[in-house]
Amino acid sequence: MRLILVDQLTEKRVNFYPLALSRPIWELRCGMTSLAEKLIAKVGAGDVACFVPPYMADAYRRRSEWPVNDPANLAGDDLLVVSARVKAAGFGIEPTGPSQVTVDTDGEVLYARIARADLARLNAGSIDGLLDSAREKLPSADAELPTWNYTWDLVLENPEQLVEDFAAAGRSGIEGAVEEPRAIRGDAKNVYVAPGASVHPMVVLDASEGPVYIDEDVIIHPFTRVEGPCYVGKKSILFGAKCREGNSIGPMCRIGGEVEESIIHGYSNKYHDGFLGHAYVGEWVNLGALTTNSDLKNDYSSVSVVLDGKRPVDTGSTKVGSLIGDHTKTSIGTLFNTGAYVGAMSLITTTGKLLPRYIPSFAWLIEGVVTKGFGKSRFYATAQEAMQRRGCQWTEADEAMWNEIFNMTKPERMEAVRKGRRVLSGHRG
Amino acid sequence: MERSQVEQRVVKVTCQVLGVDAAMVQPDSHFVFDLGAESTQSVELVAAFDGEFDIEMDEDAALQVETVGAAVEFITASLA
Repeated sequence: MRLILVDQLTEKRVNFYPLALSRPIWELRCGMTSLAEKLIAKVGAGDVACFVPPYMADAYRRRSEWPVNDPANLAGDDLLVVSARVKAAGFGIEPTGPSQVTVDTDGEVLYARIARADLARLNAGSIDGLLDSAREKLPSADAELPTWNYTWDLVLENPEQLVEDFAAAGRSGIEGAVEEPRAIRGDAKNVYVAPGASVHPMVVLDASEGPVYIDEDVIIHPFTRVEGPCYVGKKSILFGAKCREGNSIGPMCRIGGEVEESIIHGYSNKYHDGFLGHAYVGEWVNLGALTTNSDLKNDYSSVSVVLDGKRPVDTGSTKVGSLIGDHTKTSIGTLFNTGAYVGAMSLITTTGKLLPRYIPSFAWLIEGVVTKGFGKSRFYATAQEAMQRRGCQWTEADEAMWNEIFNMTKPERMEAVRKGRRVLSGHRG
Repeated sequence: MERSQVEQRVVKVTCQVLGVDAAMVQPDSHFVFDLGAESTQSVELVAAFDGEFDIEMDEDAALQVETVGAAVEFITASLA
């Protein structure tokens, strides 16, 4: 059986922006692992291939261990085709068996189990053709499958998922160095410190409310408090941080200040003081000193998020922080509003005011208004520099993908820029 | 639009954004070294010129413009 992960350019994809602008949805994380890792573990797949939106295929191919957008993988074996939005935990379908398909209310295929013998009567020349013909010709299973519908679903389920992933990992104990005096609260079997990790003196690992997993080569500086459930990814460094419960961090992150129930992808920095709560932060993000996000409204009402620059979406939750896209940088003293959408490749310079709830990708925010700034080439130069500093490479494929993202996000950016011009001319009087 | 009109309006916008006197704003004035434009003010200038002349200056090209005279040339060409 071959597992085929599918992430297509559907309307629902926008619900995972800005994070999914530059990666397939299954690369988003919840708990200790990505959504793909959870699906693979759930179905026990040893053979995996994937189909991503064409504009990101070359860039993703360079960092993926699986074949990407190669129709040759739609033949020669039983297939289990699964949408990136399907929750692994609720996926109780046997990986092999008679062919069947399940679609959601919008007709999107959530999964198609296709016996090898049935491939001949389907259009397996492309993923679109395969899904269309499967929808048309295969019996419907009518299975109720839970799905991820918005980025904040991942944030809100993160604490619970961390507990499950810690149990699934099956590791416990101190294999790295934890220097004295140390304080481990709660049941010590709910703490795992991996080989190569270095926990300095005067660090509190509090597993009284959930497990704490410190991965390989993590360094935790004195006066850091880590509350479980929590996962700190490989080679991350915590600088006297107040890590409240429910965080997934890393790898290679630098974290200080207060962080609560947030997911932070690799190579992102929040060195300094400032509060980040119920946030989802992409890769290569740098949050300047005192950058803070609100995750709770003063009237305790449900938080809404503007995903497309126009229409607020009610999250149904009273706690949602910022969604911050890859490569975005903030200046000192940045204040993000509750449920802020902060696009990818943006640069935020502030004057201490609370910022707009929607900041498009590739925006330069100055005096609280969106401008075109120095254009995309300056962002690319900064990205290249940031990646080189961590031993990574900005490739032509990356640049081609980001050029497409620049074009895709242009309408909402230019609308914001035009609004910004009116505000700036008002300032000038 | 006449070049002289473009020049007048470029001077007006430059004075407003950078907070300098019109007398300081000469064709060979360098936005950074003579008029003290910081990086964020350069971005504001581009936004202000876009708004003033109702044009869409290419960001990368516009930010290569270093003097007031070069800005006048650039905008005049954009309006042509």
